[in-house]
Amino acid sequence: MKVILILMMALFLGLSSVSAQEFTKSATVKPELVQQGEQKEWCPVCGMSIGMFYKTSHTSKIHNHQERQYCSMRCLAVDMQEHKIDVNDIKVVDSSTQKLIEAKSAFYVVGSDVAGTMSKVSKLAFADKEAAEDFNMEHGGKVVDFTVALKMAQDSLASDVAMVESKKSKQIYPMGQKIFEKNCKKEIDINAYLQINELKAGLKNKKLCGELKESELQPLSLYMWEVKRFGDVKNSDDVIKVTKDEKCPVCGMFVYKYPKWAAQIFYKESHFSFDGVKDMMKYYFEHKDGISKILASDYYSQKAIDATKAFYVIGSDIYGPMGNEPIPFMNENEAKTFSLDHKGQKILKFGEMTKEDIRKLDE
Amino acid sequence: MKNKINLYIIEYAINSLLSQKYKTFFVTSVLTALVFLLSSLFFITNSIKYELNSTLEALPEITVQKIKAGRHYDIDISVVDEILEITGVESAIARVWGYYYFENAGVNFSIIGLDEYEEQYKNSFVKVAKELDFSKPSMIVGVGVKKIMDKNYYKEYFNFIKPNGTLKKVDITGVFSGDTELESNDVIVMSNESVREIFDMDKSKATDIVVRVANHNEISTIASKIKLLYPDSRVVTKDDLKISYQNIFDYKSGIFLALFVISLFTFFIIIYDKASGLSSEQKREIGILKAIGWRVDDVLREKFYEGFIVSFFSYMLGIIVALAFVYILKAPLLQNIFTGYSQLKTSFNLPFVLDVQTLALIFFLSVPIYIAAIIIPSWRSATLEADEVIR
Repeated sequence: MKVILILMMALFLGLSSVSAQEFTKSATVKPELVQQGEQKEWCPVCGMSIGMFYKTSHTSKIHNHQERQYCSMRCLAVDMQEHKIDVNDIKVVDSSTQKLIEAKSAFYVVGSDVAGTMSKVSKLAFADKEAAEDFNMEHGGKVVDFTVALKMAQDSLASDVAMVESKKSKQIYPMGQKIFEKNCKKEIDINAYLQINELKAGLKNKKLCGELKESELQPLSLYMWEVKRFGDVKNSDDVIKVTKDEKCPVCGMFVYKYPKWAAQIFYKESHFSFDGVKDMMKYYFEHKDGISKILASDYYSQKAIDATKAFYVIGSDIYGPMGNEPIPFMNENEAKTFSLDHKGQKILKFGEMTKEDIRKLDE
Repeated sequence: MKNKINLYIIEYAINSLLSQKYKTFFVTSVLTALVFLLSSLFFITNSIKYELNSTLEALPEITVQKIKAGRHYDIDISVVDEILEITGVESAIARVWGYYYFENAGVNFSIIGLDEYEEQYKNSFVKVAKELDFSKPSMIVGVGVKKIMDKNYYKEYFNFIKPNGTLKKVDITGVFSGDTELESNDVIVMSNESVREIFDMDKSKATDIVVRVANHNEISTIASKIKLLYPDSRVVTKDDLKISYQNIFDYKSGIFLALFVISLFTFFIIIYDKASGLSSEQKREIGILKAIGWRVDDVLREKFYEGFIVSFFSYMLGIIVALAFVYILKAPLLQNIFTGYSQLKTSFNLPFVLDVQTLALIFFLSVPIYIAAIIIPSWRSATLEADEVIR
């Protein structure tokens, strides 16, 4: 009986001690910010708050003197592509002491159960090898040195960028646009700022868009910096519009009944609508002259895309109104995902599709 | 000129109907009652179907909930990021909502949180999000909620009791009516922060996640991918919801069907009775008409007019009474069959849906059959020799 009681006590104490030490990436002491000026609170690459992601923060020097501080190794890797950065200048925050230490001599715990900052895999640095190993015991992952960690960050950069990109376009930009339209009445000259963190500091301190929380400031500045600066969001919301009397010139079916599959070829004065890329290609092979543009419906987003730049998955288990179809995608990665999901046989670009390919679809 | 309507025959038909006042009255009222019953049943089912469908249409393609120990649990907001990465997902939004039990009135309010800048997952919320003041605790309430709060003297604000017993005062800034009554009557809309406070919900958590998918072909693929990513989640697609709503509805329609069958059966018994023979008086009348020179088709035409006048009048009257009963009086008694088919306490305002098909169905069930029941026995007697009938 006593033994059980003691065991239970031990268990209880053990549990409570674990929950008391829950790991957070935010700074729990006053963070060391090395950048100059009002923008020092934010990462110059992505604009995120350094205090909030302090324990993954790195610093570097560009042009040998100007100090920069990033939210994560991912942003450091991005900056290394653009600027010449001496590895000896790179410092990192020690996750246990929360002080800046030399990155070269730090021990990194990668792939622990702590979520990564702008990356799928988190990379936390420790000055002390034992501290790193302790952390590794508790949170998993493995202990590596700086060069390996950086190599991992660089290797995964493309997929990390893609991951953040999809989140941005699906969620953050629309949100930023709404915040912009509601709050930013005044003209703001975005080009007056050199980096996103300067813009963010300007927005916050000059109150250009009123009083905003960090969770509103970030989408707003991302939207302004990455979209608004290059003109506005391309209005790609348009789906292919087909009137009710348009028939596919190849198969004679009404196209408006199959809006998911609609495709169009525009000539100077006329245009034809097709109920699928297959019929469009059949027509295209015979009437190539004088085409001004060709549109297809992206399978995933259903938006109108330039058919000549699209990728087509052939031989999948998804059927259109005319049976087997080459299925159009704006984005090659999406085409690959689709191909895996739906047993596609091959992915072709517009120019690569031959009459033979199209003919085979009808077999 | 054969097909021209013979006014004299119509006059005769009307007079013949009037001469048998009680019989005509009886037949008309039975027919009217039948048409009324059938059409009001159809009107109610159509309206509810419409209301259900529009509620379902407004639903997102996929809803993701976290299940722990068989119960619904709050889900991490970080799941949204993972879901957004799946190709084909148009948007994913973490919803914060729940039911608040208002003890004084014994009702549940559905409290729904909105984010000012996030994409709204329901079209009806877009306008609400614009009207709602996010800078202070305020809310926009459904019509039913407003009524209940008024009754309890909460005219300008309402005090929500938080889980720790303290009060949260929220101003009522507007009344909102959704597309249909069923979904908006018990709804309270306020900012996400206020909802989190009232339900004591962590910032990193949400009630569930709704996912929009542009291409409906992909819903099942995406749902299975989410399920693989989060084995502890329950992934509900729109089709699943449709089926479960439909099941409840079908159960209730069973009662309808029973009523429908009984009334039709009664009607056909009456018809059969009529068709099986004419009274000797009626036979004699036909005989006399033939004797004074009416042709068979004149007799039939007169009988047709007679049947048509009675049945069409009853049909129109039945439909009009049913319309008034269902849409003006809100179908007392009959409505009880359907109330309580969801756990939400909602008032029951049926949206006006007039379906031509239903009207046609009822028309063809009543008018031609009744006319046939009049004409066939008359034709039998009319083809006999006049002296044979009168004798």
